Amino acid sequence: MTPALPYVTLALSGALLLRMGQLRREGALALGAAALSWLALAPLALWVALPEGTTLARAALASALAVALLARDREDVRQSEAALKLAWVLGAAFALTWAGGSLLALAAGTGVTAEQWPALALQLDPYALWGAALSLTLLAGLVLLGGAPFHFWLADVLHGAHAWLAPLVVAALQTAGAALLLRRLDGVAGFPAGAALAGGLLTMSAAIALVAGAATLATQRRPERRVGTLASLQGALLLCALVAGRADAALLASWGAHMALALTGAGALARFLTVSGDAAGAPPALFRRHPISGALGLYALFSLAGVPGTPGMSLWLDAARALAATRHPGLLAALVFAWIVAFTAVVDEARRAFAAPTELAAPERAVPWATRAALWCAAAGLAAMLAAAALPAGLALLR
Amino acid sequence: MARTLRLSPIRLRVPAAAWGLACVAAGFALLASAQVWRAALGVELVAMAFWLWARSAVDAREQMARWGWLRRPAMALWLAAALSAALPAPAPVTPPARVPGLATALDVPELSRPATPAERDPLAPLRALQALAVLWAGLELLGAVPASRPYPDVTGPLPHAGPWLPAVIPAAGFLVLWRQAGAWTGGPLMRELAVVLLALAAALAVLRAYTRRSWTASLRWLAAFDSALAALLVAIDAASTEVAFLLWFAAAGGRLMALAAEVRGASGRRGPDIARLWRVAGWTASACLSWMLLAHVVPAGGRLRLFEYAALAAPVYLAAALSLRRVVEAPDRRALSRTDPSRVVGMLAALLTTAVGPVALALAFGAGYRVGWTAAILAAVPALLALVPRPAAGAESELPPLLRGPVAAGATARDFALSVFRLVVTFERQLAAALRALLRGLGAPARDLHTGDAQEYLLFLVGLSVLALLLPLLR
Repeated sequence: MTPALPYVTLALSGALLLRMGQLRREGALALGAAALSWLALAPLALWVALPEGTTLARAALASALAVALLARDREDVRQSEAALKLAWVLGAAFALTWAGGSLLALAAGTGVTAEQWPALALQLDPYALWGAALSLTLLAGLVLLGGAPFHFWLADVLHGAHAWLAPLVVAALQTAGAALLLRRLDGVAGFPAGAALAGGLLTMSAAIALVAGAATLATQRRPERRVGTLASLQGALLLCALVAGRADAALLASWGAHMALALTGAGALARFLTVSGDAAGAPPALFRRHPISGALGLYALFSLAGVPGTPGMSLWLDAARALAATRHPGLLAALVFAWIVAFTAVVDEARRAFAAPTELAAPERAVPWATRAALWCAAAGLAAMLAAAALPAGLALLR
Repeated sequence: MARTLRLSPIRLRVPAAAWGLACVAAGFALLASAQVWRAALGVELVAMAFWLWARSAVDAREQMARWGWLRRPAMALWLAAALSAALPAPAPVTPPARVPGLATALDVPELSRPATPAERDPLAPLRALQALAVLWAGLELLGAVPASRPYPDVTGPLPHAGPWLPAVIPAAGFLVLWRQAGAWTGGPLMRELAVVLLALAAALAVLRAYTRRSWTASLRWLAAFDSALAALLVAIDAASTEVAFLLWFAAAGGRLMALAAEVRGASGRRGPDIARLWRVAGWTASACLSWMLLAHVVPAGGRLRLFEYAALAAPVYLAAALSLRRVVEAPDRRALSRTDPSRVVGMLAALLTTAVGPVALALAFGAGYRVGWTAAILAAVPALLALVPRPAAGAESELPPLLRGPVAAGATARDFALSVFRLVVTFERQLAAALRALLRGLGAPARDLHTGDAQEYLLFLVGLSVLALLLPLLR
C-alpha cells in the first residue's frame, strides 16, 4: 500500500489541478491553486534529481502530471495545444511500450529484465517476436527524450507553457525517458543479438535526432522553439552516450541537473528575444534595460548548445569522445554537425539580442525582478557546475 | 556622436572602437599560438571586433550584413578544435616521401594505391575533416574561396580607419595557415587543394588590384595577394617557418603600413623622397617573397616546370609593376611644409619593409638553403622585368587584329582584367547560389516536420510502431 501512496496522491493532485482550471479562483481557492501548482513541481524536481529506478509507471505518472499542469488553464490556447499533443503521443507511446514489454515477457518467460536477457540468449524464440518486442519497449524512452522526429513536444511546451513550468516539465520527462532506456537495456550485453539490435536502433535514432534536430534549428524563427530544439539535441546526446555504452546513473544525474538549470535560464530568456529577422534593429527590452541579466540568460542558452566555456560543453565533448573511442565515425560526424549548427544558432541569437545600439530610451517598466532572479540563479548554478567540473583538473595542475 | 557600449548598472562607458581594438589585439595574439582552439578564439575575437564596430556604425545595417561572414572561418576553426579534442591521437606513421614544390602538389594524386594503416582507421574521414576545416578557415580569410572573395573591395566599419581595416583579414588568414600548418598539411589532398585555390586567389587579387583606380583599394588587394603567396610557401613547404613568416611580414606587413600611410592623408606619397622609398620597399619585399616561391617551383621533380612558372610569374610581374608605378608622388597641399613626426615614422616603416625581405633570404641561405643558377635567375625575372621602363604606346596597326576593334572602341588592359575578374566572381556566385538553393530545398521538410497537428504525430507514432512490428518479420 505504502509505495502506491505517492502515486495516488500525485494523481489526485493532477485531477485537482485540472478541475481548478474550470473554477473561478478567489481567496482561499486561488491560494490553494497556487500552492498546489507549486507542490506539483516538487515530484518533477525530485525525479530530475533522482532518476534511478524509473519505471514505465513512474514515467507515465510524471507525464500525466505534466499534462495536467499544462491543461489546467483551458483559455490558454498554446498551453492546451501542447498538453493535447503530449497526451496523445505519450499515451500511445506508453501503450505501445507496455505492449512491447508484455511481448518480451511472453518470449522470455519472465517479466524481470535481468532474467530476460539470459533466457532470450538461449535462442528458443523467433527473432520476429523478441525483435519487435524489444523495438517497442524502447519507444516511450525515445519519445520522452525528445530526439527528432519526436522533438515537436519540447518546442511546443517551451513555446506554449509558462516560464516557471516548462523547463521542469521538459527536464523531468527527458530524464524519465533516459532512465527508462537505461533501465530497459541494463544487462543487454549478455544477449549479443539483442544488444546488436538495440545498438542499431539507438544509433539510427541518435543520428536522425542529431541531423534532423540541427536542420530544424537552422530553419526555426521563434526563440522559444529554438530552445526546445536545443533541448531535443541534448536528448540526442544522451542517446549517443547510450550507443557508446557510457550512460550510467552519474551521467544521468549531471545531465538532468544541467538540463533543468540551462532550460530555466534559456527558457526565461527566450520570452524576451525577438523573432528572427532584422539583426540591426533595436535590442529587446531586457537587453536595453538589463543587459547583464540578458547576458547571463545567454550563458544558459550557450550551455545548451555546448559553447566552449560552459558546462554544456563537457556533455557534448564527453559524448564525442565516447563515440570516437568506440569507433562510431558516422554518429560522431552527425554530432559534430549538430554542434556546429547549435553553436552558430546561439551566437546569432546573441548578436540579434544585443543588435545595434539605439537612441531610444530604455523602457520605463523594468523586467520583473523574479524573471531576472531566475536568470541569475540559472547562471550561478551553471557556473557552479563548471567550477565543480574544473576543480579536479585545477587541483591536478597545482599538484 | 560616438556610440558607446553601456554596461548598466556599472555605467562604464567605453567607445565601441576601443572594445573592437582590444578584441582584434587579443585575437591576433591568440593567432600566434599553435593550438587550434586558441586560433579559433582568435578569429572569433576578430569577428567580434568587426561586429562591434559594425553595430556602432552609422550604416550599421549594411556593415553588419557585410562582415557577418567572418563568423564562418571562426566556426570552421571551432569545428577543427572540437575534433582535435574529441578524436584520439592517430597512430604514428611515416609520411610519404615528397618531392618539394608546387608542381608536385599539382600532380595527379595517386588514388589507386592500397590504403595505408592510417587511412584504414575508421576515424580517418573525421581527421581529414579536421584538416579541411583549418584549411577552409585560412583560405576564407585570405579571400581564396568564392564566398569571401570580394571583401577587399569594400571599406571597413570604422569611420576613419575603415579603408585600412579589411587589410588585416588576410593577415589573420595567413597566420592561421602558417601557425596551424601541422593541423592541415598532413590531411589527404590538402596541399593540392590549397595550392590550386591560393594560386587562383593570388591571380584574381592582383588583377583586381590592377583594375582599381584608387591606390587605397589596390593596396588592400595587394595585401591579400602577398598573403596568398606567402601561404603558398607554407603549402608547398618551400621555406622554413621563420623565413616564411619574415617574407610575409615584409610583403603584406609593408602593404599594411603603406595603406595606413595612405589613409593618413597619403603621407607615404607626399614628397619625392618618401614616395621613392615606398616604391623600393614595396618592390623589394614583393620580389623577395616571389623569388623564394618561384625558385622552389621552377625545378621541382628534376625538370623545369614552365607552365606552373608562367602561371605564377605573370601575377608576380603585375604586382611588382604596380608597386613601382602606382606610388605616384602626391602634391603637398601646404605652401610651407611642416615637420611631421608621422613622416619620420613612415620613412622608418619603409626602411624596415625594405630590409626584412633580404634578411629573410639571408637567413634561409644561412640555414643551408640552396638553389640552382637557372632556377635563381628565372625566379628573379618577373620582378626584374617590372623595373624595365614601360614602352611608349604603339600605333594601332601594330596590334594583333583581334585587339584592334576593342582598342579602337576605347577598351584598355584594365577593362580586360576587370572582365576576367567579374567573369570568375559571377560564375562562383552563381555556383554558390545554386548550392544554397539545393540545400534550402533539402532542408524544407525539416520545417514541415515541425508544423503538424497532434493527430499527425499520433499517426506517425503508430506508423513507426507498425514498422517496428513488420521489419523483423521481413528479415
